[in-house]
This record gives sequence, C-alpha cells and structure tokens, in this order.
Amino acid sequence: MDFPSSLQPTLFMTGPLGLSNVPDMSFMCSWRDALTLPESLPENFKNEAPHLATGLLWEPETPGPLPLLPPGPDPWDPGVSAQDLLFRGAFPFRRKPQAVLDVTEQLSRFLWDHGDIAFAPLGKLMLENFKLEGARSRSKKKTVVSVKSLLQDLGGHQPWGCPWAFLSYRQRRFSIIGGPVLGKSVASLLGALLHEELAMRWEQLLLDDAFTGGALAWVPGRTPQVGQLVYPAGGALDTLCFQEVRLPPGSDPQALGDPGHIRLRGPVRQVVTRTVQGESLLAVRSDYHCALWKVSKQGRAAPLQVLQVGKGATGISLSPHLPGELAVCSRSGAVCLWTPQDGLQQVYKDPETLVFCDPSPWRWADFTAHPRVLTVGDRTGVKIIDTQGPPGCGLLLFRGGAEASCRRGERVLLTQYLGECGPEPQLPTLHLICTQFSLYLVDERLPLVPMLKWEHNLPSAPLWARLLPPPCPGCPRPLLLGGQGGHLQLLHLAGEGASAPRLAGPPQSLPSSSDSLSAFPLLEPKSQWRLQERLKAPTIGLAATIPSSASEPVLSLFQLSAAGDVFHQHLHLQADPGPHSRAPTASWTPQATACCSRWLKALLDVPPTPPVWAAPTFSHRRLLGCMEQRKVEQKGPEGLRAAMAAGRLLRQQDVGSPPSAGPPPAPEPGPEDELSARLEAAWEGRMAAWWERQQGRSSGPGRQPKRRKRRTQLSSTFSSLSGRLDLSDATSPPHSPDRASPEARPRPPVTPPSQESTQELWARGVPSERQQTLRDYMARLPLRGDAPRGVSSPLSGTSSVRATRSRPQTLQDGTAELPPRRNTRRGAAVSSSQTSSVWATPSRQQALRKKPRMGF
Amino acid sequence: MSDFSEELIRPKTEDDQEESCVFSGTGMSFPWLQKHIGTVATGGKKEKDFAQTTNACLSFIQEALLKHQWQQAAEFMHSYFQILEDSDSHKRQAAPEIIWKLGSEILFYHPKSNVETFNTFADRMKNIGVLNYLKISLQHALYLLHHGMLEDANRNLSHAETWRYGEKSSSQEVLINLIQAYKGLLQYYTWSKKKMELSTLDEDDYAYNTASQNMLNHSWKTSVNLCALIQTPGVWDPFVKSYVEMLEFYGDQDGAREVLTNYAYDEKFPSNPNAHIYLYNFLKREKAPREKLISVLKILYQIVPSHKLMLEFHRLLRKSEKEDHHKLGLEVLFGVLDFAGCTKNITAWKYLAKYLRQTLMGNHLAWVQEEWNSRKNWWPGFHFSSFWAKSDWKEDKALACEKALVAGILLGKGCRYFRFISKQDDEVLRKKIKRIKKSVKKHSIVNPGL
Repeated sequence: MDFPSSLQPTLFMTGPLGLSNVPDMSFMCSWRDALTLPESLPENFKNEAPHLATGLLWEPETPGPLPLLPPGPDPWDPGVSAQDLLFRGAFPFRRKPQAVLDVTEQLSRFLWDHGDIAFAPLGKLMLENFKLEGARSRSKKKTVVSVKSLLQDLGGHQPWGCPWAFLSYRQRRFSIIGGPVLGKSVASLLGALLHEELAMRWEQLLLDDAFTGGALAWVPGRTPQVGQLVYPAGGALDTLCFQEVRLPPGSDPQALGDPGHIRLRGPVRQVVTRTVQGESLLAVRSDYHCALWKVSKQGRAAPLQVLQVGKGATGISLSPHLPGELAVCSRSGAVCLWTPQDGLQQVYKDPETLVFCDPSPWRWADFTAHPRVLTVGDRTGVKIIDTQGPPGCGLLLFRGGAEASCRRGERVLLTQYLGECGPEPQLPTLHLICTQFSLYLVDERLPLVPMLKWEHNLPSAPLWARLLPPPCPGCPRPLLLGGQGGHLQLLHLAGEGASAPRLAGPPQSLPSSSDSLSAFPLLEPKSQWRLQERLKAPTIGLAATIPSSASEPVLSLFQLSAAGDVFHQHLHLQADPGPHSRAPTASWTPQATACCSRWLKALLDVPPTPPVWAAPTFSHRRLLGCMEQRKVEQKGPEGLRAAMAAGRLLRQQDVGSPPSAGPPPAPEPGPEDELSARLEAAWEGRMAAWWERQQGRSSGPGRQPKRRKRRTQLSSTFSSLSGRLDLSDATSPPHSPDRASPEARPRPPVTPPSQESTQELWARGVPSERQQTLRDYMARLPLRGDAPRGVSSPLSGTSSVRATRSRPQTLQDGTAELPPRRNTRRGAAVSSSQTSSVWATPSRQQALRKKPRMGF
Repeated sequence: MSDFSEELIRPKTEDDQEESCVFSGTGMSFPWLQKHIGTVATGGKKEKDFAQTTNACLSFIQEALLKHQWQQAAEFMHSYFQILEDSDSHKRQAAPEIIWKLGSEILFYHPKSNVETFNTFADRMKNIGVLNYLKISLQHALYLLHHGMLEDANRNLSHAETWRYGEKSSSQEVLINLIQAYKGLLQYYTWSKKKMELSTLDEDDYAYNTASQNMLNHSWKTSVNLCALIQTPGVWDPFVKSYVEMLEFYGDQDGAREVLTNYAYDEKFPSNPNAHIYLYNFLKREKAPREKLISVLKILYQIVPSHKLMLEFHRLLRKSEKEDHHKLGLEVLFGVLDFAGCTKNITAWKYLAKYLRQTLMGNHLAWVQEEWNSRKNWWPGFHFSSFWAKSDWKEDKALACEKALVAGILLGKGCRYFRFISKQDDEVLRKKIKRIKKSVKKHSIVNPGL
C-alpha cells in the first residue's frame, strides 16, 4: 500500500487535554485543507488553485426529508425533558445558568403520587401507635392516635399547608410522633435514590449512547435500485423490520409491500450490515444480546446465532474481511471476537479507560486493515490491539490529549473504520473518530497524529457516520455525519493512495426532519404541537446509498427517529455550479405535500399518549367522598347533569369512561431473581405475601410471569421470529427440541399476581376487627394510583377497595391481546453453542433491570 | 494519569469556559448543554440583548456557511463585527479569532471575493487582536501561496518573522519557527526553479556563475530558516524533504544524514513512516551497504508492514547471505499479504509463491509452518475462499494462478481455491496450471509424506 509521500506539517505535543499554550494547528479552518502544499515545483499548481473551491454541493430535492412509511400504530411519548429534571429558578448571582437537579420537587411529587410505596412500611412499623377502630380511644397512652378522628381533621386541611388552617391537638401529636420518623427516613432514603435516578436521567438526556452506531441499515439488493431497510419498530423498538425499498431513478423511493418482521424480546439499539465476499450479514445489538443474521440474495434473513452479554453490550461491528466475524464489546470493558463457527474469543479486557479516568462504561471496537487487529475505543482514546499478540499490549491510535489538540472535556463518542471490503479498497487504513466538538481522521500507520481534524459544531451528539463510495470516478467520497438531534453534515473526502486525506470543498449541512414542518398543512395548536414533537424526535439511525446506475449521481438518505418513523431525502450532486450561480432553493412538490398530508392523517388517527397518571389531591378526595355515595349504575349523562348542576367542570371520571392509560410501571423483578423479589416485597410491605407465594410454589401452579413491561423494562431476551423469515435454511447447528426449555415455550396469556390477593394477604397481619377500618383508611389515603379511575369505572362498587380489584381485569385483557408466539420460530433462533458464554436464546431471563423508583 | 492532572493545569474559572460548554459531573463537556438549560431557567440574570443578537448572528453565519450561502454569510458577518465592542472583556478578546476564522472562510469561497479583498481583510485582522498576528500572518501567507503569489507570501512571512509581542512565549516561538520554515520552503521553491534554469545553462557561460552564486545564498538562508523547526517534534515532511535536497545538492551528505536520522529516530517525534522512507531513499542514493539499508527497513517493517517498500525489503533480504535474513524475508511477504489493501498485489503473491518453493527446497519447512500457524485459521477465509477463486479468475488470471500455487502449497490440493483454479480450462494457461499442479504435489506442506 502507498503511504502519502508528504504529510501536512503538524506540530506534535504530548500532554493532557486542553493544554492551552500549544498553538493549535487546527485553528485553521476548513479551507486550510484545500491548501495542499505544492509538491515540488511551483509552476504546476498555479492553474489549479481556484478550482478546488467550486463545485461539490449535494443539493436536497426537497427542503426537508419526507416520511417513507406510515406512522406506527403505537403512540409515542417523548419522555422526560430538561424541564422535568432541572430546577426552574436560577441563582441570582451567577453569570451563567447552571444545571441543578430539582430533587425537592420530584421528591414531593413522588410522595404525593406514591405515598403507598414511601410510607407503607413505616406505617406498618407504627401500627401500634394508631387506633383504627371507630370508637373513641380510652387509652391512657399518649402515643396512640385514633385514625378516624385524624382523618376527620385532615378532611378540612389544605393540601399545601395553609398557615391559618386549624390544627387539632391530635394532628399536632401525630406530627410530633410521626414527623421525625416519616420525614427523615423517607427523605434520606428516597432522596439519595431519587437523586441518583435523576442524575442518570439527566445524563441520558445529555447523551444517550445506547444507539451509537445507529439502528438503521441498508442492505443492498440484487439491483442497485432495490434494497432493504432494516430497522426496529414498535413502541418498544423490539420488532426488527425488513422493508424492501425501490429507488427509481429520478423519483422518490417507494416502499414495496409490507415489511417482514422479527419480534425480539428487547429494544434494538444497533443494526449493522456488511456484504463480505458476496455474503450479506446483519448484526443486531440489543441491551443484553447480540444476534447475527444472514441475508440471502432474495433478501430473506436467516438467523445464525444469538449471544448474551451479561454486563450489557455497547457496540458491535462486522468484519469487512472475513464473513461472519464480529467484534462485540461489553460494559465490563471486554472485547470479544465472535464467529458463529468458533464462538467467542476474548481479545481484550480492561475495566479502566485508556488514557485518563472516565466513569463511562462505553466501549467500542472495530476492525482495521489487518483482519486480526482490532481497534478498541472508550471515551478517552482508541487503541490498536493485535488479537494474536500477548494480551494487554497495543498501541494508542488516538489519545484524548494535546497530540490531537483536544479541548477540555472532549470525549470520544464514535470510532469507525472507514476501510471496506471490495476489489479495490479505498482508504483501507483510515479511522474516523468523532468527539462532541471535532471529527478526526487517523491513519493506523501513523498513530496519534490525526491526518485531518475538522470542528463539526453539531448541536447534538454525533453518533452516526457513513462513508459512501465516490458518486462518480475521481469524485471525492461523501462522508455523512449524523447527530442525535437529527442534524446531518456531509463532508467531501478526497485523497487516497499516495495523497493524504483532505476535505475537498467546504462541508455542508443537510436538512433535518424538523425542517419538513412546512410541508404539512397548518393544524390546530394541539395537533400542531404533536406533529412538531414527532418531527423533533431524536434520530436513532442513519443509512445512505448511492444507486450507481443513475446518470446523475443521486444520494438517498434515510433517517430513523426514536418515534419509529423513517424519513428519506434525496440529494443530487450539483454539477459545477460556476462562480455566480446561486444554489436554487428547493421547494415542496405537490407529491411531497400530498405524501406528508397522508402521513399526518395516519399520525393523527393514532390516539395520543394518554396523560401520565395523576395522583388524587385532597380536593379530589372530597369529590371521591361524594361520588362514593352515588349509585353504581351511574353513567355519563348523570355525571354530566350533576356537573352542570354543581356548575363545575366535567371531568373524565364524571362521564365514567374506562381508564385508557396503563397503570404506572410497577417495580417487578425478573422471575429468576429471588433476592430482589424478596427485597422488593419487603419494601412494599408484602413480605408475608411473598413468603406465602414462595411456600406454595413447590406444590401450587408455577409462578405466573409478570406482565410485559414497558419499553425500558423489557426483558431483552430475543424471542419469536415472524414474518418473512426463512427458517428452514438456518445454517447454524440445528436446534434440538429439548433445547427449548419450558421457558422457551410460548407463554399462555397470564394474569399478573392480582392486586386483590396481595392486598388480602397484606391485611393478614392485622387483627380481623381492624381490617375494615384499615381498608377504609387505605382507600381514603392516596395509596393506590388507580383509585380515581377505578371509582369511575362501571365495575366499581360502593367501596374503593373493590374498585382496585377491577384493575387486573383490564390488565389481563391487555395481556391476552398480545400476539401468540409460535414455538418453531423461537427454536430457530436458538442455536446450540459451544462456549459457556454463548447462550441459547431464551435460556435465561435477563437479570433484574433497574427498577423504576418514580413516576414521571 | 487521571483527569486530575487536567484540572491542575488550568484552574477552572468561570471566565475560562466557553459560553456553550458547561461541565457536568463526569468531566465531559456538552456543547448542547446550554440549550437544555435555556429551556428551563427563567429567573436569574438574563443575557443582555447585545449578547443575544451577537449569538444569534453567529449561529446564522455558521448555518449559512454550512449551506454554502456565501453571500448571506457575508451579510451576517457585517453585523457580527459589533462583537468587537462587547463590554464583556472575555468575549471581546475571543472575538477576533472567531471573526478571522469565519471571515477568511467566507472570503475563500465567496464567488465575488478576490485576493485584494482577502489581503485587506487579513491585514485588518492582524492588527485587531494582536495575539493572533502570527497565526493570521501564517494563514495569509498560505492563502497567497495557494494562489501562486510566492513573493507576496514571502513578504508576509518576513514581516511576521520579526514581530514580537510581550514576553516570548513557547507558543509564540513555535509559531515563529513555523513561519520561518514556510519562508524557507518558499526559498526552496525559488532555489529549485533556479536549479532548473541552471541545468539548462552552459557551465562556461557567464550567467552560470551568477546563478550558482545566487543559489548558494539561498541555500544558506534556507538552512537557517528550516533548522529550528525540524528540531521541534512534529510532522515536517515537506520541510525535511526540501532541506535534505538542498544539503545533498551542496554535498553536505553528513548534514543531510544527520537531519534524516534525527527525524526518523528521535523518540520525541511521532513514528512517521515517511521519516524512515526518506532516510532509506537517501541511503540508497548514497549507495550505502545492504546491511545498513536492511536495518532501516527493518524499523519501517515494524511500523508499516504493508508498505510497498516491503517488497524491496524482501528482495534485499533474499539477496543477503544471512540465514535469519532469509527467514525474515518470508515473514515480510506473509506480513504484506495480511493487509486488506494488499490482497491483490500480484508481485507479492509471485514473490511468495517463488520464495515458498525456494524455502521448502532449502529444507526450512519449520519457517513456513511458523508463519502459517498464526494464519491458518483465517487466511483460507480471507484469501482462499471460493468467492475469491471465482472473482480472481474472472478479473486477473495471472493473480489467480499465483494465489492457487500458494494455496496449494499451504493448504494442500484439497483446498477450494486450488481446486477451482486447477479445474479451469484455459488455452493459454494450461501449461502454467500444469506446472502449478506439479509444484503443489512436490512442495505442499500438508501431508508431505504422501
């Protein structure tokens, strides 16, 4: 291979990040790169001088990307925002606002919303201090409070502590007794946990590295005009879709038919595809699993193998040299080479970061020009390691430090090998390294000294990059850089072989999906807001292709959003625009606006995300009191009439519509984790119930699996496959029927452990005469999240205890609606594997995920 | 090494940080943090109108640049100059650099801009922020150089060279060295032009003497200019190359050798393959002994085993008398073919096929096995798959034949690649394939007894 015969002059300094007295050579801007030093004689560069600057503009055909597929049936919830997490006020004497996590408000909201979780254990401890019967206390003990009178007194109390409110001596006594216990223990215990959770969410909001590498891939088909998009869909991003797409020259891409899909048991984080020696492979990374498929010439995917990563996988890459070879890295700092034939081979392990200490467990691995040499990256640097050499040795390819004139706080966000397989590999030794500020191109033959540095200034984290083949012979290659906020930049990369890589012409930005708002008709504010939010959804994947046969080079670009939408845009290479021609501004075509309207209509047909559950306030509770007296058969019209008579607003519960929202996620352990289950039960005060269950387990029916959790809580074992999968030709070792363990069999629709029974069990420890009072007490306090809704449901009886009973019913229905799974499909994904760390798919449920401690 | 050292070097003050990056608990900075906070913070001190407008203007300029709307960017730039009057001293000081960065970029690409406009802008900017004088001068000179205006560039650099501001800091020193080196490079250009002229002149001519005199002067000046920089760690390929050429021309072989040796072997320098290549080429020109050449290439082999000089290295090793050199020769060939960019290198395959036979005939089966052991689990898939057999045969039959011979020797005649090629019926290559079959039968390391 040729090495550039003369490299750009660069100063080489060693030292930490942000060394200030180094003259930063990258102060020179993008045009510096256009200035190549004349090689030998000054004559031969005079003529070509102004030529470099012109040309090279990929022009979008529409002002923004268009939706390619109709929106999915699931509503999308944008999740937490900075407003939910940060302290709203600002410190008066600070020059710049600072991020302060608002623990106080969250804590108070948590206590209101989940009083049961927060106070129930303490309440049990203090049981002897309460007198639950209705009769007046004759006890001489000053430490016993009558609950009934306390509740009466509280009835008139203002929720937020009105200073003029009447305080009875009972309340005073209660607060004297309970204050230190309730206040301190709850605040100190919960406060720390809540702060940890908030900090985690905030970090996630700033940088969500789960989708590094991107969850959208383009698998080329038989002809250049046809290919497949592979991406996750569904509310939980757990369905892997294979959508065939045709790229007719001169018009917008068309989706052909419905996508085939494979249902997995975890959210898909990364989808990688490569065609090596004529064999197309598809690798998918979920939180705790990685899987490999082979895509046949007809576009059918056949599963090869699934791998479980105990500590969580952070990156997966497919070898460009050897078909079926992958590099997988995990949060524990281990990097493994993985082939379906030979299983896993750990090639590197270091829980520490490479250059300096950084707490992030993110790791990345990719291939190099040598098939047995890998790059291993973390937030601080990138190392080249020889998988055949002694462990632990290697050479730093990139160091977060003065060598690359990194700034303070600069961290590696993405590393990617730019070489590829093919008859004439171009740039076979180049690696792309992205930080939040800059982009570096490093040649593995000259480590530590970036060949090219460019400040991208993207307003969001750059987590995707795609290098495309040159659109025409001799043209520079387009390098796409995508940010999490949907921002896209396109760089023109020139120079190969004997010349150093450089930017040919200034980089350009491409429209993002939020630029498409103008293509949609104007809506009423609420829908408009919904549309805007949907278009602004963070990007989680990027794919691009240049259909080679087109006469004029065209670039098709696809973007996947977190809401599951695939947007596409079409760009064409502007032939030499000449010095005076202005780039003609693209405008919306009638077809484009029609497409957008259709999509919008489908989007608005999807019911919006139901509002997150709201706790009853004291004023609610007063309402509850009067509603309890109403008759069971109360229906909408009565509610309406009553509301009109009272002259108040009509609420949803007045009309009696059934609750549409799912209940807030309950903390649920994985089925295998006994300790967590026990701790959790103890925490919720259902220790006795747990013990009962545990006792009855051996004799009674098997434990009922819990209901399906929401997206973040999905257990991520890969499961059923469906759709166009060709399972007959699975090349991996054949699955034996006995491999499909009981857990792997299709699960019947199951009922979660019903609230009713647990509540009954809960009451078991209480003397029987007190139970009714206790129930009333519990019903009146904002204990159960579903109380208001339960009351409004037609099933509800006279007491709210029965209303709680109605909840599992709806839940059960929800579970029953889940599509049944076929056993065979799952069996096909299973492969018997040799090494102990490669587990057949469903052998074990994943370990307990972080349990949600709060409802947002 | 820890993050701590990073903190020590620059005490964290509020003024120190850029507006857009605030640090979170992990030590990582997020340029987009401000945006998030901006959506929340309502109380407290608000940004002044002035700051708001300048910030907005800056983002408009950046956006226009990324959309290649040079005209619009220039218009926004016009308004952005107000930042030079910001009451915030920190921002005011940072402004000239930003203005220069964006302004020079606009002027570089703007269709109506010309060298005069750029010159005026650069001259103004040099004097607005004194601290940027050297950087701007250097870039200005590069711009002129790029546009072929060598004399103007030279004048610019000469001005900058003599410029001093306050105490001479290390960064200033490096920049001045860099400026001098570029000046030296410009002188080298004139020198090599003169050299060209000289070569056309007759030695007895009167003009010849003056011209050679001129050249001598230049050379002396240039060496002064280039010397300082190439002592500083860095990648200085163009400077070293031209300096060595001049030294060689005047017969200062020792000087040239010293410069190159220092450039290649100084540990403070990054391991630049070019440094070794230059040294090797110099030694080759100097007709250095083979031993010396081998020792230089040995180091290059350790840094870049895929370099095209490796084939030359192999030839040198093959010719050497030493046994271990012969062994290294085999290693080098295998090493070259390990790399993705070299798989189609027919010379390398030819050498390997020939050398394998030679080695095996010389009873060095152990050498081959040693090399093959670390490759036997991936070379078959990487080089000798049936996919490559088909595609190689289709694209380059000669390459396919060489590869088939190697595959046959290393994997035996059962290997797919060899089988595919040996089955081909080709008029021209029939004899060759027959020869290959014979060689494989004779030399294959698989089951040598059979």
